[in-house]
Amino acid sequence: MRYFWFSLKAIFIKDIVTELRAKQVLPTMIVLGMLIVWVLRMASEAVLQSEAVIGPVALWIAFLFAGLLAQERSFATEQQQDCIYALLLAPVDEGTIYLAKLFVNIVLLSIFEIIIIPVVIVAFRLNINNWPALIGVLLLGNIAISSVGTLFSAIVQLSRARGALLSILVLVILMPMMIPATFALLFVFGAIPQEMAGTGALAFIGTLGSAVGYMITFDAVFVVACWLLFGFAIKE
Amino acid sequence: MRNILLFVTLILFLASTWTALTKGRIEGPSANPDSPVRNIIYTHVPSSICSLACFTVLLVTAIGYLATGNESWDHVASATAEVGTVFATVLNATGSIFSRAEWGIWWTPSPRLITAAVLWFLYVVYLILRSSLPGSKQRRARICAVFAIIAFLDVPMVLYTARFMEDIHKASFSFDNWWQRGPFIMGMVSTMLLAAMLIWIKTDVLKIKSRLEAE
Repeated sequence: MRYFWFSLKAIFIKDIVTELRAKQVLPTMIVLGMLIVWVLRMASEAVLQSEAVIGPVALWIAFLFAGLLAQERSFATEQQQDCIYALLLAPVDEGTIYLAKLFVNIVLLSIFEIIIIPVVIVAFRLNINNWPALIGVLLLGNIAISSVGTLFSAIVQLSRARGALLSILVLVILMPMMIPATFALLFVFGAIPQEMAGTGALAFIGTLGSAVGYMITFDAVFVVACWLLFGFAIKE
Repeated sequence: MRNILLFVTLILFLASTWTALTKGRIEGPSANPDSPVRNIIYTHVPSSICSLACFTVLLVTAIGYLATGNESWDHVASATAEVGTVFATVLNATGSIFSRAEWGIWWTPSPRLITAAVLWFLYVVYLILRSSLPGSKQRRARICAVFAIIAFLDVPMVLYTARFMEDIHKASFSFDNWWQRGPFIMGMVSTMLLAAMLIWIKTDVLKIKSRLEAE
């Protein structure tokens, strides 16, 4: 167990330090996120009442695409000078490599979120009265995007059209997650009044709690499944 | 053996279609009772069940390949994915036609409609992944198996998540008499047989192809 933590920490620190020194992907992610938010803000100008509705959508689109940038890099850097072989030859369980890479991607996306949320709040004039819920929902979404993305990043590493393949793989799996994720943010931003929850179209499980519960289930299922299957995906 | 089965499938299919369109005809929507659109159920339901069944077979082959490393599993997986895509396409196309005639819209976010759409997307992405992976045959088979398992886990997730939407789709359907039930059952059996035959033939083609490549 101590060895597990030691190797996890070693890979994690290696990746974070490389990223912070070389700044390969974080600036691109942030600028891309800001551009997405800005474009959607301009597109929603015509319908002024819908700001609280477009806000969560802008946020999730920005996260998805920025997340894809971070994940694509996470194994692409290992391909240069065949670092991946050194990583695989090291006496470390493949699952540990996956978890270390997953944490790196979560941290990168979290840094991105910290910067992009104020931008979205300012651009869409949003009022947030439930900060813990907002942070919780974003963190759950972050884990979902990163868990699937890290596994598929290892899968596509040898392909020529790496980015394109990664984006369709990740988006198709994340499709069901986006429904409760958007609902949850709509609740947090007050686009759905509290008294409407659980009625009408939302009669089934349409409350903030149920959306968060769904996201927790999704995260748990996919983190465990990806962690178990990673060994098959990385082998040559 | 295969020819006999193919013949039986064809006969069953023709019998089912003929009975369904004559004796077993279902009355159209109240706005337009003469419309034959509700007869689409004879194709729609069997293809939906077939596409889901193919997905389950895909999971089994994926687990089989990862557990044994036997190439035959991969051939079956490849064939099943292609056949499943065909049925998922039929499912979405017939559903869309019915939806337009009955509810006036081609598509709307509704639990079953979302599930069918996601199923189609998963199949298509699986096929794209299969055709665009470089490296050895074993690596491709392994990665496709990994994706198939992850994709299978996605289906219950969609079924669960889609409950956030209002359901436009009928929960259950009952037939009035045996003239309708009969062709439906025949259609179901013939569609299942057709899927199985297609998978069987495609698997054989893939096996021969791989043997030729090896020689």
